[in-house]
Amino acid sequence: MLTCINAPDGPEIIVCCGSGGVGKTTISAAIGLHGALSGKKTIVLTIDPAKRLADSLGLKRFEADAQQVPVENCIVGKDSPGSDAALYAMMLDAKHTFDQLIARYAPPEFQKKILKNRYYQHLSNNMAGSHEYMAMEKLYEIFNQNEYDLIVLDTPPSRRALDFLEAPQRMLNILGHNFFMRMFKPYLKAGRWGVRFLNIFASPVLKGVSKVLGKQVLDDLSGFMQLWDDIMFDGFSRRATAVKELLAGNKTLFLAVSTPQRLPMDEAIFLSKKLLLNEMPFGGFIINRVNFCDSDLEKQGFDPDKVFENTRIDPGLKEKLIAAHNNILKMAENDARSVKRLIDKTGLEKNVLQIPFADSEIVGLNDLYRLSRFFTR
Amino acid sequence: MSAKTKAKTKDGLRIAGDKRASIAGSSVTKEPVDSWLDRLLSRRLVFVMGKGGVGKTTISIALASVAERLNKKILLAEIGDTDAIGRLYGNKTLTEVPLRLTQHIWGARVDPKAELEAYVRAHVTPGFIAGKIIRSRLFEYLFDATPGLKEVMCLGRLWRWEKEENSPARATYDLIIVDAPATGHAMSLLRLPDLLINMIRVGPVANQIRGLQRLLKNRQKTSLVLVSLPEELPVNEAVEFYSMAEDTLDMPVAATFINCVYPVAFSRMELQQMASIESSARDFPFSAVNKLIAAARILIRRQSDQQKHIKEIHAKSTGHIQEIPFCFTNDLTINQIRELSSFIRHHH
Repeated sequence: MLTCINAPDGPEIIVCCGSGGVGKTTISAAIGLHGALSGKKTIVLTIDPAKRLADSLGLKRFEADAQQVPVENCIVGKDSPGSDAALYAMMLDAKHTFDQLIARYAPPEFQKKILKNRYYQHLSNNMAGSHEYMAMEKLYEIFNQNEYDLIVLDTPPSRRALDFLEAPQRMLNILGHNFFMRMFKPYLKAGRWGVRFLNIFASPVLKGVSKVLGKQVLDDLSGFMQLWDDIMFDGFSRRATAVKELLAGNKTLFLAVSTPQRLPMDEAIFLSKKLLLNEMPFGGFIINRVNFCDSDLEKQGFDPDKVFENTRIDPGLKEKLIAAHNNILKMAENDARSVKRLIDKTGLEKNVLQIPFADSEIVGLNDLYRLSRFFTR
Repeated sequence: MSAKTKAKTKDGLRIAGDKRASIAGSSVTKEPVDSWLDRLLSRRLVFVMGKGGVGKTTISIALASVAERLNKKILLAEIGDTDAIGRLYGNKTLTEVPLRLTQHIWGARVDPKAELEAYVRAHVTPGFIAGKIIRSRLFEYLFDATPGLKEVMCLGRLWRWEKEENSPARATYDLIIVDAPATGHAMSLLRLPDLLINMIRVGPVANQIRGLQRLLKNRQKTSLVLVSLPEELPVNEAVEFYSMAEDTLDMPVAATFINCVYPVAFSRMELQQMASIESSARDFPFSAVNKLIAAARILIRRQSDQQKHIKEIHAKSTGHIQEIPFCFTNDLTINQIRELSSFIRHHH
């Protein structure tokens, strides 16, 4: 499914979406490795990798710069990657990225004020959408550095796979300078140092709101918007528009990652429909941790008595072995049904890649390498 | 302990939690009548927390079903927009108004916006100004822009349900079980009162926040339950959650449910027997018996991976740990969840 990575005009950005807990980070890393092994200088932007995976990628917590992944450490049989395979990884951190942007774009005399503003602190840390927004900022920054042939973006964990696309816009609506000014301008009055304050008495609506929320909230908000307004917002909205265009263009490929469970599958289906509706480039589904039953016992007409005919075995163990086999079979059937449902609902049979449930947990580069081989099919 | 763990189990489907319970039972005299489960269900408010996809809704409903048998009136409150509870109860759509799902269980969805509107109407006079505020774009804007406002409104709704009485001194609901939002950071919701009290200091919302803080920190009234999976990331998050719940929130986790635990199906003797069958049939690697053993090995491997993670939870957790057996399905039905609830009742 991802053979297009090899092509010279293949995607330059791959965005992995999906609900939390489906293995997005691992899949993103494996796609990154696949890209690097295909000869592209690749970077994986990841959110919160499991500790051992982060270790194998050479990532350290609180380290915000790109780290080169020691690909040469990964040797599977004789098939070791060439030395020119370059893979980088970077950990995204919303608060850090926000602060970096302030340091880069805000004049020094305003920086402290912004960083100390209570509203800013919430915005950069807790506000819904701030992680998604920052992922986009970083994506744009790295794309424009023109240093990498391929960027793989692992989206922030959320229940709804689509949050990644919608949250930044919601956030920009809030930070939107025009939007803010249109509503608040009539009530802003000049303060002593040229900073305008919110005159809540000018509007019964504001007065009512301040009665419920308290005036402090409005003051923090308007104080922040004053700083934001003059210095920052233009850049933010310009970049957001540019990122949107970038994501909708032919350089990008969206992938929906899921496991066969009901909720993530529904999210993946929803995501694909929404992307296609908006004419965004949808690459397909990666269904992770699919159970397959290699045993063909069922087809042969499975008769437990016959199977154990020539084997001396404890009757209790015999029953347990049959039960275990039936459970494996049941999981495989469930997963097959779940994948069939996905295909029936989307009609995208050719764009479904199933990754079998791994024999062991994927923690090392060799595990990632084995995983990445599925993308060549 | 290891000698007892080795003890042969009669039933292949017995799970690890089962075993552990019997171990505890043999070293400590019988569990006190007032078990962790009784204590948990005697609270007013139970938050079911955890990473996305670990099974919070399943555990919420299972707990409600256990409480139902104690003749309690339960409200299952869903925060977020997934509709998971309603879907399980015959595709119902839950709203702000509690809907009766079974004889003892009601279900509702917390709608922060409706709650804020109710606030404005209650505190702003005259009424036409309140209406004007609610309809204004500015209100819409502030609702989105004020950090934590949505979350605090969610908590406010829960607070009001907790206070609700259908006759004097008779609470409408004995127990409110909250299927908490599946954000990566389940903490933020419960941390909000502490954070917001610095931002919103006066006015009715501030008063509500103080009331909320009192309710949340009262350990006789509110408990946190954590749901996790025996996998690396959920366990890491659980471990982080324990210390934050205790230190930052001052609301220690009362119980942890480890979901989807593969059954410990084979005793050591059985494993030995399997190995000897395999080696004697080495010339027939594709014989039916070997295929059966190979299938069993898949489960054994997964089960032993899981046990490593479960051990870590045991090392770090506060409160009781309850393992929930994996049901070998992708989509639990309400009846399967009820079966899990009888499992919890019998194995706690």
